[in-house]
Amino acid sequence: MHEFYSWVESLAFSTWIRESGSLWSYPIVLTLHTMGLAILVGFNWAVDFRLLGFGETVPLSSMAKYFPVMWFGFWINLFSGIILLMADATTKMTSWVFGVKMIFIVIGMIVLRKIQVKVFHSIDQKDKLSYISPDAKVLAMVSLVCWVMATTAGRLMAYLGPQVGLTGPQIK
Amino acid sequence: MNLIIEMNKWLMTTNLSHAIAGRQPWIWPLCETLHFIGLALLIGCIGVLDLRMLGVAKDMSIHSIHKFVPWGIAGFILNLITGITFYIGAPFQYVHNFAFQMKLLFIAIAGFNVMYFYLGGVLHKVEALGPGANPPLSAKIVSLVSIVMWFGVLYWGRMLPFVGNAF
Repeated sequence: MHEFYSWVESLAFSTWIRESGSLWSYPIVLTLHTMGLAILVGFNWAVDFRLLGFGETVPLSSMAKYFPVMWFGFWINLFSGIILLMADATTKMTSWVFGVKMIFIVIGMIVLRKIQVKVFHSIDQKDKLSYISPDAKVLAMVSLVCWVMATTAGRLMAYLGPQVGLTGPQIK
Repeated sequence: MNLIIEMNKWLMTTNLSHAIAGRQPWIWPLCETLHFIGLALLIGCIGVLDLRMLGVAKDMSIHSIHKFVPWGIAGFILNLITGITFYIGAPFQYVHNFAFQMKLLFIAIAGFNVMYFYLGGVLHKVEALGPGANPPLSAKIVSLVSIVMWFGVLYWGRMLPFVGNAF
């Protein structure tokens, strides 16, 4: 596998992202990754807070409109994340912190999908300030924690585990 | 500017600054993590109100979705505290940094926008609106400015190491 990661890293595109020094390479991709995080995690937290009993006068059914927003954030981050991964494949694929981050993202996205399908698709349209089941509250709690953990692990990739060859500012 | 430089020089002599800058190696990563959690809280929980005023999820009243704003403010305070911590730790990597100056400018514009929303009568106008109502143009402009400015603050923050040389 290591040869494959080295090969990905050596591609002209990966090298350009990593080494060009252009603001349009690594810096912009990293910025997009942070924007996607804010959109996905921020809006998901708002939905989680609502499910946990906060802001009860907001009709749950109307919060369904935030799911496309969250998915938009997710696609930005999948796309930008793959580019960042390509640029430093050997380091990131051998980093336990990256592994932890991926686990929480997978759980977080499964829970997001469950909330979307199980909780939002079964809202009683007549009773818009709908009753929230204990199961939905558990999902919201898990979602909240997963995104805290994923964000934390993502941030700590710059400090723990194997580090990218570039030293200093580039990796933070 | 001289006063700021004198203050920065003094800051760097303090134990607190030394601790943040690396003598306590966990402080910087912890603050970075909290800074990112804060930015997501801010953009998400202010964003729900901004989107409502721009016409997304119209069947909620603005009065009710406005209740999420305290979470956004909590995110802002978290980021203010962690941001000041970074500054105390390494003031000179920020003070001459163009990205940092732009970040402060964008925060200031976002701040005036918030003041206009609360003190300029915009909130008063939109709070009276029920579900389904279309907010006035002033509210839409405030929302648009809010979204652009907060994403701008994020952009300049992310550019600190690249435009300037902050870590």
